[in-house]
Amino acid sequence: VRDACAAGLDAAVGAGATYADARAVVRRSQSVATKNGRVDTLTDAETEGIGVRVLVGGAWGFACDRRLSAEGARDAALRATTFAAAAGSRRARALVPLEPRSGTYRTPIERDPFSVSLADKVELCLRAEAALRHPDVKVAQAFVRALGERKLFLSSDGAEIDQEIVECGAGIDAMAVGEGLFQVRSYPSQHSGASAQAGWEYVESLGLEREAPRVAEQASALLRADACPPGTTTVVIDAEQMQLQVHESVGHPTELDRIYGTEAAYAGTSFLQPDDLDSLRYGSEHMNITADATTAGGLGTFAFDDEGVPASRDAVVAEGVLRGFLASRETAARLGHGAGGSMRADGWARMPLVRMTNLHLEPGSGSLEELLSEVDEGLFLETNRSWSIDDKRLNFQFGTQVAWEIKGGRLGRMLRDATYTGVTPVFWGSLDRVAGPEEWRMHGLTNCGKGQPGQHAHVSHGASPARFRNVQVGVKA
Amino acid sequence: MSSGADGSGGALEIAERALSRASGGEAEAVVLTEHSGFARYAGSEVHQPTLIENVEVQLRLVRDGRAGVATTNRTDADGLDRLARRAAEVLASASEDPDLPPLAPPAHYPEVDGYDEETAALGADGQAGLAAAAIAASGDLDLYGYFTSGVCETAIASSTGLRASQRTTDATCLALAAGDGASGYAVRTAWRAAEIDPAAVAAEAVAKAARTRGAQGAEPARYRAVLEPYAIAELLYYFSFDTFNGLGLLEERSYFSGRIGERVFDAKVTLVDDALDQRGLPSAFDFEGTPKERVVLVEDGVVRGPVWDRATAARAGLESTGHALPASSRAFGAIPTAVALAPGEAESVDQLAELVGDGIYVTRVHYLGVVDPRAGVITGMTRDGTFRIRDGKVAEPLVNLRFTVSMPDLLADVPGLTRETWLVNQSDFYDERWAYAYRSPAIATGCFNVTGAGSGPGL
Repeated sequence: VRDACAAGLDAAVGAGATYADARAVVRRSQSVATKNGRVDTLTDAETEGIGVRVLVGGAWGFACDRRLSAEGARDAALRATTFAAAAGSRRARALVPLEPRSGTYRTPIERDPFSVSLADKVELCLRAEAALRHPDVKVAQAFVRALGERKLFLSSDGAEIDQEIVECGAGIDAMAVGEGLFQVRSYPSQHSGASAQAGWEYVESLGLEREAPRVAEQASALLRADACPPGTTTVVIDAEQMQLQVHESVGHPTELDRIYGTEAAYAGTSFLQPDDLDSLRYGSEHMNITADATTAGGLGTFAFDDEGVPASRDAVVAEGVLRGFLASRETAARLGHGAGGSMRADGWARMPLVRMTNLHLEPGSGSLEELLSEVDEGLFLETNRSWSIDDKRLNFQFGTQVAWEIKGGRLGRMLRDATYTGVTPVFWGSLDRVAGPEEWRMHGLTNCGKGQPGQHAHVSHGASPARFRNVQVGVKA
Repeated sequence: MSSGADGSGGALEIAERALSRASGGEAEAVVLTEHSGFARYAGSEVHQPTLIENVEVQLRLVRDGRAGVATTNRTDADGLDRLARRAAEVLASASEDPDLPPLAPPAHYPEVDGYDEETAALGADGQAGLAAAAIAASGDLDLYGYFTSGVCETAIASSTGLRASQRTTDATCLALAAGDGASGYAVRTAWRAAEIDPAAVAAEAVAKAARTRGAQGAEPARYRAVLEPYAIAELLYYFSFDTFNGLGLLEERSYFSGRIGERVFDAKVTLVDDALDQRGLPSAFDFEGTPKERVVLVEDGVVRGPVWDRATAARAGLESTGHALPASSRAFGAIPTAVALAPGEAESVDQLAELVGDGIYVTRVHYLGVVDPRAGVITGMTRDGTFRIRDGKVAEPLVNLRFTVSMPDLLADVPGLTRETWLVNQSDFYDERWAYAYRSPAIATGCFNVTGAGSGPGL
């Protein structure tokens, strides 16, 4: 395969490319889901191919081929250079210089998830899902997933990088129906649970069966809970929902390709401008956001990104001030700041894009109980249910699966259909405390969409519960 | 049998080879081929041109009430042998499902078009040229979007004797014209690329953008509104995930739950799913090999029912309507991908504005989220062309607005719809290429709930 990638690079350079890279990817994934005691999904998928990216006369081109051979790589390279030449470019493109690197990386795992039989995976799901059974629960479901990806990257700059990524994930959902209502509770998060770059030990550590009775009871209780009333109040947001808050309102707006407009037609742009760096107040002094491609267990962890840039840990927001962007070699060169390091592609058949790696809200101090104890009246919001944010990542609205009234520093009654809405810098400006490291949790999500044609990225976010003042809640149709 | 002249046989031959490796019980091989190009542009230059070649082979084995699926993109003998072994391992791990339906039987498929040689022949030069034509028409504004075209083939061979194949083409031109404080949007989709004039698409976006400068705010309130086809088609698409989905009905998360046969929408609202409509992106069968049929979802405001695949139909005691998704998405249930909202009598969107009198005009919506599936509540933002309607006329531009709407309320009071309908692409081209689109007129509604405001138009 290495020779195939090299043949692709030779063909690209021979056809006039001033830069080229080739990624050979072999990916295997398994998905298991059970629903109401039956197997709902049971698949084992493999895909492989080579993607070649070229720069010809200042224009990018990308083409791919499913053949892991020199012939396939050469064909892809020539089609990519043809497309780049046909597309043309209005401006010169520079890439941040990069020392040629070679290296390897493998996800540290204790137990290979593909060594666990599918039958055992089905059994785990059935046991967890059985523990969700409840008279009000119309649909009980459990799921596990495993992914293994071997990726070889060669570039005309001289890089040669071999990486092997292993991911696992799992989760449970209880969907309750009654009184004309539909309510859902999930663990450890919604949208097919949570994932990590880890072995099967991650799935076992989640304790799905242990958590299931609580999840089912809460789904049922939501049918009898009052609706979250509209108003403006203090909210304490759990670590799970905070991951999506960070993802949508900090991660995406700090992607430099969005800031430069290259994602305008689909995912959107950003309220940030390049010269906001080191000056824009993003939030309160309690807001510290770090992009960290080295976090153990993170879905965005690697040794090198898909341009061959070494992984790093960098501040994005420090004490509320914008300190960094997520960048590629091209966008970093255009900005004149940083080295890139956030380019990632979804498999072999897509071009790398600026993507989040692992983006964390750094912990503050104190326990969740301490955060709650300082609230006379407010809401504690748990587990994402719905999300939407505008194209510049300013106006957002999130729904959570459950809300708990806070009265006199203590949790009170359960509320259903909770939503909260805000404007990004105003909302982050109202952050007045983040709980400490002991409350910090990392969640991995696999459904971050971007690009045309579409690409899914797998990213992780760590956060502790956080408290925000004067937040609008209870938006109704 | 093949769907006819459009089946090239290439994908079907691979499906036959995959099927021949399955032993014991029933087996179904589904092959999806893709040859496509994306000339994606931003700032009036193509910045992410992507050419994709792939073949995906899914082998599904069914035995004694158990099923297992394996997938590969290797079509050599070793690759298919390995596929069969893995599928057998998956099957061996499955538990018994007494309601698991057998594989689809052989069927006669409707004759549909949907394949165009000229579109299939478009290569990198042609795709880049059509993107350039759109860019050239954007004048002083920068253009963002893409021109894409592709040729795909779907083939199914199963142990029941079912043989089906269809080759399709699709093309889409999307244009977002944007400058300082201004942006407009347009998109066209067809299975014949020649039906799309990229310069005209860009010109529509440019003309819309020119009207958006100087946008003002609007107070949160319940407004009357006019929604262009882009906006209502996307809202209907998100509404379909739970409400038009047979699985959603079975799991009681559909707004249709308990309402079949009831009049719940305005009598002007008729919704069908019709993949056989030659004006759309036609297909003869679904991903289980069930023939496509026209399904009435809502008739004159009365709920008729959702769509079904074989698994959900079996649980409901019904027949599949031909709406199985690809195996990778089957867990979502059956989702209609060729929905058409019936047209009305209005000659133009201006006439709809007259019917609304005082309200909001929405060109398109952005980043929708289903807040409450059972109640049909959806939130999102307007974008690239939001205006105030005053005294029956489209008036000053507005900033992007957050809305949180009940789709049943939005569809319950419909003063009018345009006579003209547009085909609106709904595919974002994730995973295997599969283009689909909704057909819709512009619609006037008496209920559009604005719950906040965002930034102005433009980048």
